Amino acid sequence: MSTMRSAGQISLRNLRAIPRLPSAFFPALLMPIFTMIAFSGTFYAVTKIPGFPTDRSINWYMPIGVLFGSSFSGIGIGFTTIRDIETGFYDRLRMSPAPRNALIIGPLFTAWMRTVILNLIVVPIGVALGVRFEGGILAVLSLLAASLGMSTLSLGWGLGLAYRFRDMRAAAIMQLSIFIGLYLTSAQMPLEFIDGWLHHVATYNPITYILYLARQGLVLDGTSHDMSWSNTWPGLLAIVVLSGLALAFARRGLDKLDK
Amino acid sequence: MTNSPSNSPILAENLTRHFGEVKAVDGIDMQVNAGEIFGFLGPNGAGKSTAVRMLTTLLRPTAGRAIVAGFDVATHPDEVRRRIGVALQDAAIDPLMTGSELLQLQAVLYGIPSSQTKSRTAELLERVGLTAAGDRRVGTYSGGMRRRLDLALSLIHQPTVLFLDEPTTGLDPMSRLTLWEEVRRLNREGTTVLLTTQYLEEADQLADRIAIIDKGKIVREGKPQDLKAEVGFPTLIVNVQKDHQDAARSVLLQFGELRPTAEGTLGVGLRDGAQVVTDVVRKLDEAHVHLIHLEINEPSLDDVFADATGHRLEGDKS
Amino acid sequence: MSTVLQPVAASRSFGLSLRQTRAMAWRSTKETFRQPALVGPSMIFPIFFAALGASSFSRATSLPGFPKVESFLQFSLAATVVQGVLFGSVTGAAALATDIQNGFFDRLLLAPTSRTGILIGRLAGSAIFGAVQAAAFIAVLWPFGATIKSSFGGALVMVLSGGIVALAIGSLMSAVAIKTASAEAVQGTFPLLFILLFFSSAFFPRETMSGLYRNIADVNPISYLVEGMRELVLVGFSTSAMAKAIFIPTAICVVAILIALRQLRVRLASR
Repeated sequence: MSTMRSAGQISLRNLRAIPRLPSAFFPALLMPIFTMIAFSGTFYAVTKIPGFPTDRSINWYMPIGVLFGSSFSGIGIGFTTIRDIETGFYDRLRMSPAPRNALIIGPLFTAWMRTVILNLIVVPIGVALGVRFEGGILAVLSLLAASLGMSTLSLGWGLGLAYRFRDMRAAAIMQLSIFIGLYLTSAQMPLEFIDGWLHHVATYNPITYILYLARQGLVLDGTSHDMSWSNTWPGLLAIVVLSGLALAFARRGLDKLDK
Repeated sequence: MTNSPSNSPILAENLTRHFGEVKAVDGIDMQVNAGEIFGFLGPNGAGKSTAVRMLTTLLRPTAGRAIVAGFDVATHPDEVRRRIGVALQDAAIDPLMTGSELLQLQAVLYGIPSSQTKSRTAELLERVGLTAAGDRRVGTYSGGMRRRLDLALSLIHQPTVLFLDEPTTGLDPMSRLTLWEEVRRLNREGTTVLLTTQYLEEADQLADRIAIIDKGKIVREGKPQDLKAEVGFPTLIVNVQKDHQDAARSVLLQFGELRPTAEGTLGVGLRDGAQVVTDVVRKLDEAHVHLIHLEINEPSLDDVFADATGHRLEGDKS
Repeated sequence: MSTVLQPVAASRSFGLSLRQTRAMAWRSTKETFRQPALVGPSMIFPIFFAALGASSFSRATSLPGFPKVESFLQFSLAATVVQGVLFGSVTGAAALATDIQNGFFDRLLLAPTSRTGILIGRLAGSAIFGAVQAAAFIAVLWPFGATIKSSFGGALVMVLSGGIVALAIGSLMSAVAIKTASAEAVQGTFPLLFILLFFSSAFFPRETMSGLYRNIADVNPISYLVEGMRELVLVGFSTSAMAKAIFIPTAICVVAILIALRQLRVRLASR
């Protein structure tokens, strides 16, 4: 079997699990909605700080919610993989003659599908609650690109950890690291408004730039809502580099699984 | 030993427990004599644990009554609790506590005065051979150690009646022997013991009297040797080729009644004892039955069980 | 046996009950601290969020409607305490559910002790943990600028309040634990606590909120609890601060304990 055909089959199995075990998908769906509503409601007043790049708090907080959800779509598959390893089902997959890469690419397709479904649900809710894509269709595509990027790197990271620990400890590490990685950015406030230690950490955290990619067209850049290459390329670069590292980490873990 | 119902440590009359439609315990009558080891023998789900939970005040009977250590379990549960020790199935022990911490907690719960708690804990740890492990968390104990700690916990207040629910299930043979020895020792010291088991050997070795329980009812009761004697005849078990089974069956029927055996074998209770085996073999040969294997078993509790219930206990487990 | 004990006294004195309750409380406290994987998150996350907020929201303190504060961290202290205590109180209740699941609770029920004592002891353990958490948060954040205006007296009140809140939430969670006998069900209530906390004035002043969100925060009891503690931190002692931080939580606590005890009675009666 070719890599793609095997990957398709594996992906199909994971996708079937969504309607059959909705409780496993719900958290990844509810979390971004909750984050979006709770943050923009609680921190409603921050838009009144002089120089804040938007007067709609939901425009500022929806992207971080979507990125949280996308990350959980990725590591959610890491959770399933741990369960499969624990029950022995994963051995069955590994024993098949399917190419090894299919075992990673298949789940990747699933993570992307989930991320698209998530965007299709969360973004309209956001718009209904007041989100305005000032940058037009390009702004939507930019958010989607950032979102798919987060799900790719989370999937690689999640699978890699699942292969290495092979028990629920990996799940805790996945959640914690994604959580911290996303919070140590301009998640809550614009980088220019952040003081002290967090300012330094967020400046060097590549996920900050994925967040720029996600937010552009929703918030002002200087005085315009236009898309800019300078807000795009750092995010894309961060996605390519982090995803590459994470997927390589997963592949090495998979190869070490039989040792 | 006295047999009058008024002072027997455990007495049950028509003890019944239903869970919805399921009759887990379906009207059992029993009497355990002081100083006795009494065994409840039966497969998983026979109702042994449910019966024990009622006798130990953890579960209320749907009907009937039980007197334990002189008190009715339904009306005077606290009096019963004060006098009985219970080691529950699976040794339910909090893995985060150390052995001696659990014993001390147990001592307080049973109202042992503070002045005696320490010495009592040390004494019991020594008794079950856990002195060295007393300050380790229970999570690090082996299965055998947990059972022994469980036993020590149930002895904290020197109960006169001890209930052991499947005390050796899942233990290795060495640990099992150690536990049996401890139960015998306790019994010699005067403790009445009721134990449940699904192991024939355990019931045979340990119990003065047993009750065989199946589908919530007691189907046989008595001393193991008496029960075996009632079944009487030794069992001849033969293993023949599949297509010879019918022919073999008709031959065996000439020597006694067929008995349930493991799948693929035939068993017969030899009416005239073991000496007729040569006749059986000759008759089988004449009937052109090809014999693969043959064995003769003196009556065991399994035969008693099979005789009473129509199925075997040992076969159930495989 | 090597020594022969006096038969156990049949008395069920008040002193004995107290000793038994204390033993249960001690057990549950020790048990909590022996599970760093469970205790850790409820200690570390609130501090992480406090540190994050202090860096992110320093400019927000000059917004209209924001109370007079020395730093955002000072503003966050009360929320940090409440957040930690809320999440920590799930731990004790989940442990109770595990006790029921694995049969350890049966062993406790086999003892000739008062049923109430077993539960109250457990709950007292939760209260102790809540108070310890509150003290730890104050000790960690005070040196970094979370100055308490009402000084050590106020800190003591906050610690006490932490214990009472842990007892109240712990009792409600224990009612769930007793009813369901499932640690998963108890942990499943976790998102509810999260929502309760976020839709309150815990992280930002109510005065800066608007619309429906403000209305929800207005009726959310967590708002008042946090605001009571915050008043002790930012302003000083007052009757209203004491009422919000101590008296009202105590009243809720009593009701919560009664609910838990009732649930225990229902469980014991349905055996």
